[in-house]
Amino acid sequence: MNKPWYLDRRTFLRGTGVTLSLPFLECMSVNASVAQRPKRFCAVYFPYGVSMSSKDENAKWRWFPEGEGANYQFNESLKPLDPLRDNLTVLGGLSHPNGRTIGGHDTADIWLTGAMLKGAQMTNTISLDQIAAEHIGNETRFRSITLSNTGGVGEVTRSSTLSYTRSGQPIPAINQPRLVYNRLFGVEKGSKEEQRSQLTNSRSMLDLVLDHSKSVRGKLGRRDQEKFDEYLASVRQIEERVERSEQWLDIPKPSVNAIGLHLDADDSTPEELMKTMYDLMFLAFQTDSTRFATYQLDNMNGATSIAGKFPQLLGFGKSSHSLAHGGNKPAGAEALGKWDQFRAKQFSYFLKRLRDTQEGEGNLLDHTIVMYGSSNSNTHNNKNYPTILAGGDKMGFKHGQYLRYNEDTPFANVHRTILNRLEVPVDAFADSNGELQEIVA
Amino acid sequence: MMLNFRLMLPYWGVGVFPLLAPASFAASPADYEKDIRPILEKHCFACHGPDKQKNDIRFDTMSTDMINDRPAAETWHDTLDVLNFDEMPPEDEPRLSDDERRKLIGWLNYEIEAVVKATKSTGGRPVVRRLNRIEYQNTMTDLLGIKTGYANNLPPEGLSEDGFKNNGASLQMSAMQLEYYLEAARMAMSKAIVSGKKPEVFRHVIEESNGTAGNKSQRGRDYSNTLSRTSFFLGKIEEDYHEYGEFLVRIRARADLKEGQGYPRMEVALGYRVDTLMPERIIDEVEVTSERIQTYEFRGRIEDYPLPSRVQSKFPGLLIRVTNVYDDGSPMPKQETVVLEPAVGKKKAKTVKVWPEEPHLPEIEVESVEFAGPVFDSWPPKHHSDILFPSEQRETDQRGYAAQVLKRFMHRAFRRPVEEAEVEPYLALFDQVQGTVPSFEEAIREPLAMVLISPGFLYLVEPGAEEKRPLDDWEIASRLSYFLWGTMPDESLLTAAEKGQLHRKGEIKRIVSKMLNDERSWNFVDQFVDQWLDVGAVDRVAVNPEFYPDWNDELKPSIHKETKHFFAEVLNERMSALNFLDSDFAMVNRPMAMHYGLNESPRGMKFERVSLPETSERGGLLTQASVLLGHSTGEDSHPVLRAVWLRERLLDDPPANPPPNVPGLDAENPNFAKLSVREQLKIHREQASCNDCHRSIDPWGIAMEGFGADGLARTEITRRDPEKRGKMVTQPVVTEATLPGGAKLNGMDGLKTYLLEEKKEQFARALVSKLMTYALGRSMEITDEAMIDELTTDFISYDFQLHRLVQEVASSSAFLTK
Repeated sequence: MNKPWYLDRRTFLRGTGVTLSLPFLECMSVNASVAQRPKRFCAVYFPYGVSMSSKDENAKWRWFPEGEGANYQFNESLKPLDPLRDNLTVLGGLSHPNGRTIGGHDTADIWLTGAMLKGAQMTNTISLDQIAAEHIGNETRFRSITLSNTGGVGEVTRSSTLSYTRSGQPIPAINQPRLVYNRLFGVEKGSKEEQRSQLTNSRSMLDLVLDHSKSVRGKLGRRDQEKFDEYLASVRQIEERVERSEQWLDIPKPSVNAIGLHLDADDSTPEELMKTMYDLMFLAFQTDSTRFATYQLDNMNGATSIAGKFPQLLGFGKSSHSLAHGGNKPAGAEALGKWDQFRAKQFSYFLKRLRDTQEGEGNLLDHTIVMYGSSNSNTHNNKNYPTILAGGDKMGFKHGQYLRYNEDTPFANVHRTILNRLEVPVDAFADSNGELQEIVA
Repeated sequence: MMLNFRLMLPYWGVGVFPLLAPASFAASPADYEKDIRPILEKHCFACHGPDKQKNDIRFDTMSTDMINDRPAAETWHDTLDVLNFDEMPPEDEPRLSDDERRKLIGWLNYEIEAVVKATKSTGGRPVVRRLNRIEYQNTMTDLLGIKTGYANNLPPEGLSEDGFKNNGASLQMSAMQLEYYLEAARMAMSKAIVSGKKPEVFRHVIEESNGTAGNKSQRGRDYSNTLSRTSFFLGKIEEDYHEYGEFLVRIRARADLKEGQGYPRMEVALGYRVDTLMPERIIDEVEVTSERIQTYEFRGRIEDYPLPSRVQSKFPGLLIRVTNVYDDGSPMPKQETVVLEPAVGKKKAKTVKVWPEEPHLPEIEVESVEFAGPVFDSWPPKHHSDILFPSEQRETDQRGYAAQVLKRFMHRAFRRPVEEAEVEPYLALFDQVQGTVPSFEEAIREPLAMVLISPGFLYLVEPGAEEKRPLDDWEIASRLSYFLWGTMPDESLLTAAEKGQLHRKGEIKRIVSKMLNDERSWNFVDQFVDQWLDVGAVDRVAVNPEFYPDWNDELKPSIHKETKHFFAEVLNERMSALNFLDSDFAMVNRPMAMHYGLNESPRGMKFERVSLPETSERGGLLTQASVLLGHSTGEDSHPVLRAVWLRERLLDDPPANPPPNVPGLDAENPNFAKLSVREQLKIHREQASCNDCHRSIDPWGIAMEGFGADGLARTEITRRDPEKRGKMVTQPVVTEATLPGGAKLNGMDGLKTYLLEEKKEQFARALVSKLMTYALGRSMEITDEAMIDELTTDFISYDFQLHRLVQEVASSSAFLTK
């Protein structure tokens, strides 16, 4: 294997707090070619849309800014992002054409895929982060990480994950900060030899299980076989992960300073939970443990969404769904706007952390594309997705604008633009018909 | 505010549920040629007909056979959407009349739902399904005989459309899931198979509280052997303790009971001290009910608990915390400052803060706390020798012995007999590993772990043919066991399978009875009630203390349990399921009885049957806090959510989802917020598109308005004042409502009377259908209708006896067929 420069950097990280040793690391990475800096992508999603009251007295709580182009002003909802306006673009008017044909609450599944859900099982297609991870995710310990506040996959059209495999299978999201931390930075048990032999055993075991399972499959009825193929695909994928772990065995996981991380935060402490998830994504990027992350803040299923009550717990009065429904009422626009603002504040914290962390001659944010938004404008409306595209300044983005589009521009053009900036060699994505020229430098 | 009842509906797509049609499979509400085509002809053909085909849509020739013509189905689906969005007919064309609109949408909804059902159908057969989280946890525990958290890292599971967690089609597998299965399998085997010599057992008896914790964890309490609200016991074991394996905490203690108060509750936790904090995990909690010394035992695996570092700790040693968590809700006393005599040779007097006595509260006197570990019944422990059974072959023919070990283990893990050839791949792994590790024990762990990630273990595999076939005895044993116990079949069930006894229907009924008597049947009660009635809704609502100042979140676990114990009582006492609609008793523990303000209350946390006075509005499911709180906003009731819950869960008649882009309750009216919910809903119903559904939804919820989000009766509703920020206003409760047919529902009593008089057959059918869905692990389909009808008729004939229904379901042909 041709070892890239950053592997050596990892070795230096052994036993030290990353935050402490950064100045030293900076010397190294400056010497390395700037052109080789990693390119990253991260997507953060929230459901049910935003405050967009048409009434003048509620104008200051509208999520979308006033004005257009470079001369726009944030309203209250996005004020926390003002210090970052040079690093981001607000996009309006976009939506997935396929999303416009399905129910108001059905669209979270396709935000990153643009798919037409097909067949009896309503199969999805591959998500943006996974395409990128497939092509250029090979250089990190983890191809990608998938997070959400509810966790798991949820159910079709009400999913609690943003990421889908090539075959359209949902990837379960992790909702416990401690599990994320353990995967990324936790110490593996046993000596290196023990770990190696366990990996070898895993490989043999999975081979044998796969063979055995094929014979089980043969005995099943047709419908059962279709369902059972999920299992076979999973075995194959984890075989690949085992191989990957073998390659990474000699490189210790980075050690990070866990002080200030609320690793045991859960649905009873939403503010800490979300902050910690953002922190973990930041640390994952900073340590180059992965370059692709998705994080779903809440899903559109009251029946399973444990995050629906977060605004209530945080003093915003109603559940996230009820806040969204109230958005057109006199006091509702403000209530929803304040919740929008709270989310923007947390998001701004994440962007700032990325921006304020040096990497090479720039900072982490200028090599990280962050997409933030929803697939509803207000509660049941599947058009005009509220969208913010941030970061990636040194990957060819031109920021600082508020751009409006009409329905001729499919939302997937954003995805395609992102893939192009990541230099992922694909010609198209979903139903995209071009790049968003206006945001490309 | 009221319209968001989608919140709880597992939902499939736009308008795919029939408008107003019951979930059962009624005939199409309209005849296309007679009722529908004329409407289209009048309003649509001009632009989408023989002359013009705007947007390439032509209705006069479009197929109405949506099941076989999918492109046509898609176009009809789009048509439904534009109608719902009110985009068609265009503004300058004549509007559809309310009646035309209702007919057209009703027909489209019905036909599209039929397509959905056809495409999702599993042909009336369960899909091969994996164990869900809870079944996996239970099965691992029973298979290995070791209690620990096997499923902790598994991703949470979604629900099926009908709210169930054991639906084969909804339970997914993924690489991450499998990765955690493998991790759990290895962890399990390292516990189950021990190696090495019999370890030394450490034993400590602590007679007086001897530990100290940081201020933060101590919460200002004193250390003492007398446990009250202001004092607790902290035992410390500095060294000589194990770090792997089972431990035993044995506490000798007695209660000091007080008149009019409940039993004191003893909570035991294990942890250690770091500076001002004490990382710990609670082992368990018991009530101390006797004034005479009793011995209480607590067990766990020490590696599941936070342990101090042996080398770096500033405060080395284990800490055992024993606390009395009983609290009658009275205000905490304030500490008093006491001035002490100056010590000899010192001038300054010292002051200390002491807690005043609280003689009205029950206390616990701890005589001693014993800690021992690792504990085991024998060496090697039983969980080890159950797998590595003693045999001379082990010395003479290790490979042959390994094959026997694997075969026996696979038989239990796969819940069926295993052929020699099936053992081969597992033995192959044993061969590979054997040379690389020092002991037989270590070598056999890997193939045993492999068994635990095999489909035979993780899935309920029922080989299928094209035709339906009767299940064999082993498959019946598994189905029964997962239905009624949520875990693998035990020895006696496997023996019955081996003897071929499970084919006989009479035998199954006897076995079901026996299984329901077993304590494992709590898994059935717990899971079925949770999924049927969505008890977990309580955890998705945060109660706002501004509206309910007396609310205490610690009540939530008891609220869950109330509904489950109520179901269990009806089941075990062989009572009529009509008790779910109304009953003359409640199942409560002390906190629930206090919350409800019942005259009679159990003394402790145990749920007991309490008679309700004839005048009480309580009784049945509808007045339980799980329903009333779970379907509220946390500030107020939510009549629409409650109504949808009732129709979906108790009547199996879920209303249609709101069409896309429905307006919320009209907010243009400045006085809107001042109106009562009933008036708000009335305004809402004035809109024809809303009225179609809401006239048959709202009344059910309005009848329940006499109960607030906290589950308590109320005569007025507290609201925020729309004009004065931070102020509250109240409105009187009005609970009279009229159903579309003219039936009057007058408050909770009126609602219950109506259900018992007019809807008991529909309720019976709903319960049968839900129970079948759970028992079979699949959704009910049109082909199941006849079976459900038959079971329902029988169910009514034996006076709705729940226990008997469970027996009948388990011996039904659907349950015994693949």
